[in-house]
Amino acid sequence: MDLHCEMILDEYREAIPVLEQMKTEVLRLLREALDRSGLIVTAIEARIKTEESLRGKLALKGSKYATLSDITDILGARIITFYTDDVDRIAAMAEQLFEIDWNNSVDKRTLHQLDSFGYNSLHYICKLPGYDFRFELQLRTTLQHAWAAINHDIGYKTGVEIPREYLRRINRLAGILEMADDEFSRIRSEITDYRRRVQQLVQNGKLDDVLLDGDTFNSYLQARPFDALNKRIAAINQAEIQEVPLIHYLRVFNAFGCKTLGDVERLKKHYQEAAYRLARHQLGNTDLDIISSAVGVQNICIVCIIASGGGKMGLVRFFDAINGHNTQNEAIAEMTFNLAKSIQL
Amino acid sequence: MKTEIVENGNQIIAKFIGRLDTPAAVQTMEDVKPLLDAANKEIILDCTELEYISSSGLRIFLSVRKEAVAHGSKVIVRNINADIRQVFMMTGFVSLFEIQ
Repeated sequence: MDLHCEMILDEYREAIPVLEQMKTEVLRLLREALDRSGLIVTAIEARIKTEESLRGKLALKGSKYATLSDITDILGARIITFYTDDVDRIAAMAEQLFEIDWNNSVDKRTLHQLDSFGYNSLHYICKLPGYDFRFELQLRTTLQHAWAAINHDIGYKTGVEIPREYLRRINRLAGILEMADDEFSRIRSEITDYRRRVQQLVQNGKLDDVLLDGDTFNSYLQARPFDALNKRIAAINQAEIQEVPLIHYLRVFNAFGCKTLGDVERLKKHYQEAAYRLARHQLGNTDLDIISSAVGVQNICIVCIIASGGGKMGLVRFFDAINGHNTQNEAIAEMTFNLAKSIQL
Repeated sequence: MKTEIVENGNQIIAKFIGRLDTPAAVQTMEDVKPLLDAANKEIILDCTELEYISSSGLRIFLSVRKEAVAHGSKVIVRNINADIRQVFMMTGFVSLFEIQ
């Protein structure tokens, strides 16, 4: 190590507190920007180059650097995303947050020849206002990160030159992961489009075209299909309505054999009057002035079970489905069954 | 109406004795404050000796549940009599609590 490199190392040791401060600031800015955007990523990390690593770099090409500030990766930050599209979104975000040194930034994703595969990552050399040093921001997907990490482990750690055959096999894997990354992004886009289409169908009332599943039932619930019945029931005692989740009723409608949201809607329309009568009979003689938003759908399910001959056991299965299995469900089912019989639902 | 609070390891148990009606609700809300402060524990609402619950009583149970859920915990309602079971059922709150 010559005197020039030793001077850069001295400069590095003195700069550590500033670099630490810079690291904290970079991470803070990135985390805040990601929170604002609502983007979820796998990891955000940053590190200051270790003295050992810097020493190695200077030993190889120390004459290239006049001062420490010429080394662009003395501080490195990395964001690992789930999807390839998110790399570009975060790159746009970084362009707003930092001053980008375009001459030294490189998009390794676009560097490959048509017939080559390998390291894929976007590297921005950035400057944070108020600091002399630049830093490197690496943006890559989880799969790109996994490939880079394994490639580094295999290629560098052993210190032995890897035969061409193995390098080719590693690079072929990069091609497969590139295809997988594209497919994950495509799947995400198609799911988003599917959800939009379902919401549109729900809004337009074309419920027979929408198959019943967790996603579609959630969209249906957002249209608040049981509100009118709940409000009628609340009016019996001028009760307030407490909002509670209804998504667990999906398994009940599945058990009823509903295949589409249209089936659920028909079932609701068919039984809502009897469900109201059940509520009026129960609540009319009380001064209970608080009900949950589940009362309408709960009563619809109860009268559906009674009307279709499900009997007490059907009600036990229903309460097991919405409450989880417990010994009290049998008593609740018996009480409900006797009441339903007494008012001839 | 009496409320007894007992801490038992990772559980906190509130034992209700008597009628939890509107006049009793104000004092009961005061009495259950230790449950709200320890909402990170599993909360047991022991109703073995609870004879009656009104809307005001239900609101107390809901406040306790809200605090427990916010802390990632849960509320178990234990040993309710037939009348109280009916109140939970007819108001649609039966699926909101774990009833044992």
